[in-house]
Amino acid sequence: MLILSRRVGESITIGNDVVVKVVALSGNQIRLGITAPREVRVLREESFHALREENRAAAGAPDSNRRLEDVGKQLRSKTPERSDDE
Amino acid sequence: MTNSDQRSVAIAAESELVGLLGKEIFFPTGLLGFPSCQRFNFNRFNPGDGSASPFFVLESADQEVSFPLIHPDFVPRDYPLEISPEVMSSLDVHNDADLVAMLIVTVRDRPEDITVNLQGPLIINPSALIGIQLVVEEYPVRYPLLVPAVQ
Repeated sequence: MLILSRRVGESITIGNDVVVKVVALSGNQIRLGITAPREVRVLREESFHALREENRAAAGAPDSNRRLEDVGKQLRSKTPERSDDE
Repeated sequence: MTNSDQRSVAIAAESELVGLLGKEIFFPTGLLGFPSCQRFNFNRFNPGDGSASPFFVLESADQEVSFPLIHPDFVPRDYPLEISPEVMSSLDVHNDADLVAMLIVTVRDRPEDITVNLQGPLIINPSALIGIQLVVEEYPVRYPLLVPAVQ
């Protein structure tokens, strides 16, 4: 792992078009400002992991068709929460 | 991750999804964990017995991967969504036409354990057929789809 020291207001660049700037420091918290092209997804690491794992779980659910059939019947017996005249 | 330009979006009602059925939707950044899956076919989930189902299926045209989906109206809670101008522009939105929001369903053994992913909704521009998995960190990744029965 590359380790760099930066002061508040200073930045690092990653590749050609990603810039990470240290915006503020308070106790053990650091605020970072990130500039990146829109096709580069910037996420907190824990969100990235949680969403990736959840997508994998959703794609790999065993026997999901039969279970979806059963639950679908329960859900269809009630109408969606939202009505059109809101 | 604050952005003052966020704007609330009107989400198309479930009945408006008909126009998307059978269409191929392009997800330029893929889905999280599936970066190489960019093209997906959107269809209704068809139960074997021919009954109507509230579920839809997003099936990758690139790999053998599919995701069960449901419209947010079936989730028993308020679910306002705000979308940044950057996301609007990546979805190629030029007017105020409604966007489509769909939630990925994680099927588990017991029906009451089935959850929807409120943190990573799929937002689709139905006229451009472009989609993105939005990340809304204030919502949970696993939210129960079924309301517990009242005792």
